[in-house]
Amino acid sequence: MATSPREKSWQLQLLLLPCVLLLGALVIYPALYSIYLSLTNASLVGVAATHPRFVGMRNYFRLFADAEFWNSLVITFWFVVGSAVIGQFVLGLTSAVLLRRPLRFKNLFNSIILLPNAVPEVVAGFIWISMLAGGEHSTLNRIFGVLGIPPVRWLEQLPLLMIVIANTWRGIASAMILMMAGLSSVPPEVLEAARIDGASPRQIFRFVTLPLIMPTIFLYMLVSTVTTISIFGFVYALTRGGPGNATEIVGVYIYNQSFTAFQLGYGAAVAVVTLLVSVAIGLVYVRALKVQV
Amino acid sequence: MSRSKTVGPKLFDRDGVAYVTLSLIALFCAIPFLWVILSSFDGNASLFLRWPSPWTLNNYIGIFVREGGARWFFNSFLVVGTATAIVLLFSGLGGYALSRMKVWWKRPFLYLIILIRVIPPPALIVPLYKILLTGNDAVGSLVRSLVSPESVRPVMQVFGLIDGYLGMILVFAAMQLPLALWIMKTYFDTIPHDYEEAALVDGANLFQRIRLVITPLALPGLAAAGLFAFISAWGDFLMPLILVSSSELQMLPLGLFRAFLRVQQIDYGFLSALAILYMLPAVIAFGFARRYFIQTFSGGVKA
Amino acid sequence: MFNKLISIGFTLAAALAPGLINAETIRIAEHRQARIDALKTVVPEIEKKYNVHIEVIEYPAPEKDFLTKLLTELRAGNAPDIINAPHGSDIADMVAAGYLAPITKELKAWDGYSQLFDVGKSMVTGKDGEIYALPAMLDVMELYYRRDLLEKAGISTDQPKTWAELLSRAKEIKSKTGAYGLLFPAGLTWGTGSFEEGFRLLIVGTATPQIASDDGKLNLSGQGVKDAFGFYADLINGDLMPIQPLLEPEPWVVPKYEMFPAGKLIVTTGGSWGYIYDWGSQSKSPIPNVTQVVGTWEVPGEKGGQYVLVDLNGPWAVNAKSPDVALAKKVLLELGSVKADVAYAQNLGNIPGRVDAAADPNFQKLTELVPILDSLKAGAGTYLKTAEGFSAVSEGIARATEALLRKQTDAAGAQKILVEYVKQVLGDDAIK
Repeated sequence: MATSPREKSWQLQLLLLPCVLLLGALVIYPALYSIYLSLTNASLVGVAATHPRFVGMRNYFRLFADAEFWNSLVITFWFVVGSAVIGQFVLGLTSAVLLRRPLRFKNLFNSIILLPNAVPEVVAGFIWISMLAGGEHSTLNRIFGVLGIPPVRWLEQLPLLMIVIANTWRGIASAMILMMAGLSSVPPEVLEAARIDGASPRQIFRFVTLPLIMPTIFLYMLVSTVTTISIFGFVYALTRGGPGNATEIVGVYIYNQSFTAFQLGYGAAVAVVTLLVSVAIGLVYVRALKVQV
Repeated sequence: MSRSKTVGPKLFDRDGVAYVTLSLIALFCAIPFLWVILSSFDGNASLFLRWPSPWTLNNYIGIFVREGGARWFFNSFLVVGTATAIVLLFSGLGGYALSRMKVWWKRPFLYLIILIRVIPPPALIVPLYKILLTGNDAVGSLVRSLVSPESVRPVMQVFGLIDGYLGMILVFAAMQLPLALWIMKTYFDTIPHDYEEAALVDGANLFQRIRLVITPLALPGLAAAGLFAFISAWGDFLMPLILVSSSELQMLPLGLFRAFLRVQQIDYGFLSALAILYMLPAVIAFGFARRYFIQTFSGGVKA
Repeated sequence: MFNKLISIGFTLAAALAPGLINAETIRIAEHRQARIDALKTVVPEIEKKYNVHIEVIEYPAPEKDFLTKLLTELRAGNAPDIINAPHGSDIADMVAAGYLAPITKELKAWDGYSQLFDVGKSMVTGKDGEIYALPAMLDVMELYYRRDLLEKAGISTDQPKTWAELLSRAKEIKSKTGAYGLLFPAGLTWGTGSFEEGFRLLIVGTATPQIASDDGKLNLSGQGVKDAFGFYADLINGDLMPIQPLLEPEPWVVPKYEMFPAGKLIVTTGGSWGYIYDWGSQSKSPIPNVTQVVGTWEVPGEKGGQYVLVDLNGPWAVNAKSPDVALAKKVLLELGSVKADVAYAQNLGNIPGRVDAAADPNFQKLTELVPILDSLKAGAGTYLKTAEGFSAVSEGIARATEALLRKQTDAAGAQKILVEYVKQVLGDDAIK
């Protein structure tokens, strides 16, 4: 019996054509061009703007020799693990699971959890400045003050933790939405069968649901890792990468090292290296979650 | 079907635990917004949480009366809405294709498009701008040869790639397409081929199969993809700022930056009020899309 | 190329066809509502004078985004005809990239040229004698102090004459009133302000007052830089300036908008806009009677001398790739008219770049600004020459002062941080 007949594969490719064209022109070409730029000293100002020179691997040498870059990779690692892999995922999955039950106020819960994701990045930055900065003026310290705890300089003492928490706050909804879509693809008959067989809810979740939504989880991990790695504005507004380099994630590093002087070449080089690291991470996810793409 | 309507793993035995957990999560999400809400009604809003004094609606009213609020909303809706529609269409078809096809370049393509997002937008803007400008010049010449000189400007505002609706729509669609394609492909992977085969046996061609069988099944995936695309494009500010210049085409992000009055002076009241209004469409879109998430497989192959 | 020929052809046809002569359009880039409002007051006149249609293009306000958009467009050749740069130091970078059209001839032939302050003229004239920017408005920076509180505490309100005197005055303030004696912006979160409103005011008073040297290299290893950092270190280590707010985002909010009006900070650096927008009629927490209560001192030099630091504010320039450069230049000069200058002064609190603005009745209403303009007339006004790469210097100074704020290093160490950073970003040969 014919399943996906090979002779119809050109039709399938035709379905994909509009995507390929649009992505090719507006996403892939600029990215490839950026990779080319990483081998030049291109800039938006100065002589290098109109007469960029090919400099080969010089940007990369500078990059690899810079301890601050390696530090930014480590910081980014913790940032991603803390907020995307753990924070957003756990809270998002929990919300998605719980909100499938017949509860009251579902709309309210859903809307509130969505808000941090819906607020524009500029405002989100100010929100967290208002929460954490300003000593006794900050909202968090005000709340703690009511409980009798003296004000803490949050962004000074626990900067990395703070940006992890803030970014978790920002992304719960994306995890929740993806998980909701994933959970809705689990056939009820399978769950029914498991329950009839006497499995406890915990066992059903671990051995039936979880494997079935693994592709969605993989997708979430991949996408959120990539998105979190490329975060810049939010963290920059809060800490500028400080104190010291404690919160200098890759995006902030790129900005501090290249875009203050509008140097596109160096920024592109860092981006390329980050891209390679992401590829490696992607492969790790594929192995760890045992998915077939 | 007997049993409860919703399907889901029953981890907690009592609804009470569910309510408490959800409330804690919701509280975590909501507390930072206290400042935004209070500031938006504050005639003298500051960066720090304070009780509004004086209480006023001027911030909200000012958005529409003093500034071009209505225009911004309209433009943002138009651009983001159209882009989302394009994304839904392209990713629905493309995701299905990616799921069912077996070509060697499938995996590299998929990884390429998603991992590319790691490259910071400022690095991409320069080549993107160049390519749009070249395209814009081509469109411009075409338009100038077809319409009278007075109409060139308005037509270019619609079809132009730089400083035109079309350019913004295409850029947004292109930016959201990678994730949407992944979502749809992943989703289609979970739909067994049985349904299509049954339709195939019944003599349906590809497009009939898509329309009658696949699309209804794909709705939760489409809802997720569309929602992500909408929210992400709605919140993007870099592209509208760089690509739009005419005041008639300005979108909401510019409105937010209008709050930056002077070098160190920001109108927090205006910013907060606009932020509140800004979030509403996303919440509404979510409410609208949500009902598709709880859809389950109705009927089956045995039907 | 071909497309360009076609569109040129059509434009020419449209222009030459009888009855189809439309007024040409000149596009001007501007950002921030206050500036746009000022600009729009003079647009109708310019349109009538040259029979031209002027379109004001609004750019996003935060500088980072403003420059990203502007520079992208300049590079692609698609920028508006007339632009302005947020800082005078950006002009040098743009000139080196070939983005701007020289206006030397037209400026010198202009009737307003003789009215421009010399300091403005010097700032826009490059090494080769070419001028690329119009110094329509100026930032004037000095020290601002609470005269009422000093008098109350019995501390002298005389102009401090050296750094040492300024420091000892600050210490006196601290011991007699308990308040912070002097604020010089510093640190990362203050961004470019650490350089523009802080470091710059110090370096001009040292033995090596200029950072940009004639061969294009940056002079950052000299004694003057080290001494300036030393001054910061003295302020910080002596607890004479607030430190904690400067380590957090939006660092100016607490010191300048809360502490200074409340009297917890007595002296701070600032610009002429402070009289109107920080503490005056347009501010959220105004100080009553601000021109009486708040006085100005010039910034003393290290060993003597008094300096008023002047910088270009939003200097106007012409896009070299503008379709009609000649017309753009004419419109540009109109933006330096008395009327335009005064409109900007009203909206922003900056000082007009022309002497004859003082006689304008609308300017005279800005009583807070009149004395500052007068002091420029009297010849005050020092400036820092700019060169390519100043944005990296600015960031380097933010980093160096951040380390000082955190007491992680001393003056020599701070200088090292600055030099290392600039070398990293611009290359070793950028530094002298």
